[in-house]
Amino acid sequence: MKTIYNENENNYSKMIKDLQNLPKIDAPENFEYNLMTRIKNKNFGKIEEEKQSFNWIKFLAPSAVVVTAIILLFVFLPASQQINNPLLNPAQNVDSQSILSNNIEEGSNAAKNNSLQNKNSAALNSSPVTSPNSSRSINRIDKNFLLSSSRPGVSLDDYISGSSHQRDMLRGNIVNGGNELTPNDGFFISEKPDQNTLNKYRAQLDSLRKAQLKADSLKKALKMP
Amino acid sequence: MNKSLTELKDEELIKDFQDSNTLEAYEILVRRYKDPLMNFVYRFVGDRDVCTDIVQDTMIKFYLNKDSYRSFAKFSTWIYTIAGNLAKNELKRRRRRSIFSISNNDDEKTPQIEDKMFRSPEKIADGEIRNEIIQKALLKVKPVYREVVVLRDIQDLSYEEISEITGLAIGTVKSRINRGRAQLQKLLKHIYKE
Repeated sequence: MKTIYNENENNYSKMIKDLQNLPKIDAPENFEYNLMTRIKNKNFGKIEEEKQSFNWIKFLAPSAVVVTAIILLFVFLPASQQINNPLLNPAQNVDSQSILSNNIEEGSNAAKNNSLQNKNSAALNSSPVTSPNSSRSINRIDKNFLLSSSRPGVSLDDYISGSSHQRDMLRGNIVNGGNELTPNDGFFISEKPDQNTLNKYRAQLDSLRKAQLKADSLKKALKMP
Repeated sequence: MNKSLTELKDEELIKDFQDSNTLEAYEILVRRYKDPLMNFVYRFVGDRDVCTDIVQDTMIKFYLNKDSYRSFAKFSTWIYTIAGNLAKNELKRRRRRSIFSISNNDDEKTPQIEDKMFRSPEKIADGEIRNEIIQKALLKVKPVYREVVVLRDIQDLSYEEISEITGLAIGTVKSRINRGRAQLQKLLKHIYKE
């Protein structure tokens, strides 16, 4: 490395020599006098102003950046962190399913009621429930009604006493509060027994019984005088 | 007392100035450094009046901020750093002025050296003109390179001292000096034909 720079110095040796021989510039004669006068008069000019001045741009620029970053953090971070709670979703599904199924039933009931009401009084035709423009209000009422009263209940007493003759597969449905059959309720494992193993166990039991009978007959024979 | 003060080293003098706050030590330091600083700033900025103002400001800054000097640094490098920074600020101010000025007459600010390149060799041989050409070529070198070239080849400072003054690594100083010299020689190719 040193040699490279030494070589370079050799390349520019003439120029370097000329630079070194440039005439020296001296300070003017009154330099010291002017300087001391300035110091005595405390006339520091721009230097003191520079020292005292407070640069607002230098202060505001980084603070503005920090504030913007914080605002952006608050604006965008919660939206990106929407957490899907896995415990909530199944319940919502069940609710929607039950509401849907019951909605159909209630819809038909509402139609029946409407026809009855039409027959009974003409005045009731003007009511918001029966008017054709008010289908939204019907749906709203139906939903409220469904949510309040028509959910399938769990008859625990019948269930415990065993009077409800339901299949095992339906038990889970009652607990879940839905009307659909679930493939597995999570409590009962239904396994079909293997015929070969059954025959095998039966044969073993038969042989044991026979052996027991033989043993009994032998004991009896021994006891006989 | 005065005689003993003049015999003191720069670092001892500034220590005395810091402790006693008397102007004697300060005046001695001003006397020692006014000419080297004038030379450095003139070669860097190229204007004698501006150069005098910069060196005056350097000395006032030294007077006002004497306590910011720490004894582990060399006084010469500290004062050169102040002068260098003020000279750089002046160059920035000039550049800003040249950008915003409506009548942007570059001929006044950066003297054209090409015209003088075509003078006869007899005239180039003349010392004064030669020095003038070199100075004008020096002002055309990029300021980052010019500063280190002036410190090294005109002020005859060591690489370590230049590194301290500019705050650059020694390797960077060396490469910048090399590039500065190359630029300068390119500008002065009519003189240094080889």
